[in-house]
Amino acid sequence: MISFILFIAVIGVSISNRSGLTAPEKFLRDTTGFVQQWFYKPAGYMAGFFQDIGNLRAMHEENEQLRMTVAAYTRDKVKFNAMEQTNQSLQELLHFTEAQKKINDYKFLFAQVIAVSPDPYNQTLTINLGSKNGIKEKMAVITDEGMVGIISKVSEVTSTIMPLLELNDQAPGISATALGKQKQSFGIVSSYNKETQMLQMTKIAADDPMTKGDTILTSGLNNVYPEGLVIGTVESIQDSDFGLTKTASIKLAADFDHLNEVLVVQKPEAIQ
Amino acid sequence: MRMQGIVGLTFLAFVVQSTIVPWIIPGEFAGRIVPHFTLAVVLFAAMYHSRHSALLLGAGFGLLQDVVFRGHLLGLHAYAMALIGYLFGLLLERRRSTMMMALVVVAFGTLLYELALYYVYKVFQFTQESLSWALVDHILPSLFLQLAFALAVYIPLRRWFQNLAMNRYSKKEPE
Repeated sequence: MISFILFIAVIGVSISNRSGLTAPEKFLRDTTGFVQQWFYKPAGYMAGFFQDIGNLRAMHEENEQLRMTVAAYTRDKVKFNAMEQTNQSLQELLHFTEAQKKINDYKFLFAQVIAVSPDPYNQTLTINLGSKNGIKEKMAVITDEGMVGIISKVSEVTSTIMPLLELNDQAPGISATALGKQKQSFGIVSSYNKETQMLQMTKIAADDPMTKGDTILTSGLNNVYPEGLVIGTVESIQDSDFGLTKTASIKLAADFDHLNEVLVVQKPEAIQ
Repeated sequence: MRMQGIVGLTFLAFVVQSTIVPWIIPGEFAGRIVPHFTLAVVLFAAMYHSRHSALLLGAGFGLLQDVVFRGHLLGLHAYAMALIGYLFGLLLERRRSTMMMALVVVAFGTLLYELALYYVYKVFQFTQESLSWALVDHILPSLFLQLAFALAVYIPLRRWFQNLAMNRYSKKEPE
């Protein structure tokens, strides 16, 4: 009975959104993480090795495709350089402050996943970077395919990612917009439905131009998450219960199984 | 010394279930087959060692799971694992459990554990899914992995735990 009261008390304390971790917690997490990274990476290499043998035939086609992508990339790079230059000179003309110029100057930190939580309702990931490497809570985490999640807890040399799969109505959502319609489109990615495997995007205005198939990006409007990270594509749009707003189902862009390397997006230090 | 061996072994199970197993599970089952190897070791400890060691192991490694993969709640795994370990220890500690019995115990223990997790998360509204969906989606598939693991480690673990228990009793008697 006493233990039951204790259990309720501990849960009550932990539920009240206490941010930050205590020293023993950090120590326990870091030592465990230290051991876990010896196992996760070799296992990943082994799995990757067998997969590569299986994929040997597809390799040639993939190579061809990659070559095409590189060609397209170099072409775009030329365009990008020119655009960046005009952008810079325009910024000079308009007397941008130093902070305004740097607002999109993101840094990407390369991190290794070292463990996956064995709890179906709390599928957090652990990565091998922590506060020592400049990781802070609420930083966005991406792969080459799209956004994966948000840093939820940080200790000295490891930190925990809360994947987008764990978004629920209790936590604040992510403000998002549609690619190419950034000015007119707005909604909040609020929760993930495990049964349909779709993200729910709510609070979309009734006259919003968003349509099926649009790519959904983070809008960066709430100034917490960076701008322009790919979240997914719109699968369907419905009117919400009262008909004032619309709700969209979004298919995730990133693949969440067998994650190995992720990038943590570090926003430039805010100059205020 | 001996207790340290058990702790080390459980820690190994904990590390393996969070690092190697996710790589072995094929992509289409990722997130559906969830390993609970530490729980299996706790249940073996309950059956073949003592209910107190099961209680301690469950509480310790549950707490480790809670802290390392800190998500929505703290202390849930610790409480569930300790309670289940102690309960099964209370029921079966003195009996000589056969292999079938052990497998059934592991299956029921895991089922109980998953249901406890599901209902607590449901009560605090961290999950909206229905029970029948959760059963089909991950509870039952995970059960197969759990049984396979229990079968694989049954003989070495039973022998080890019983030796430990035997040593303990034979030590106590002369005193």
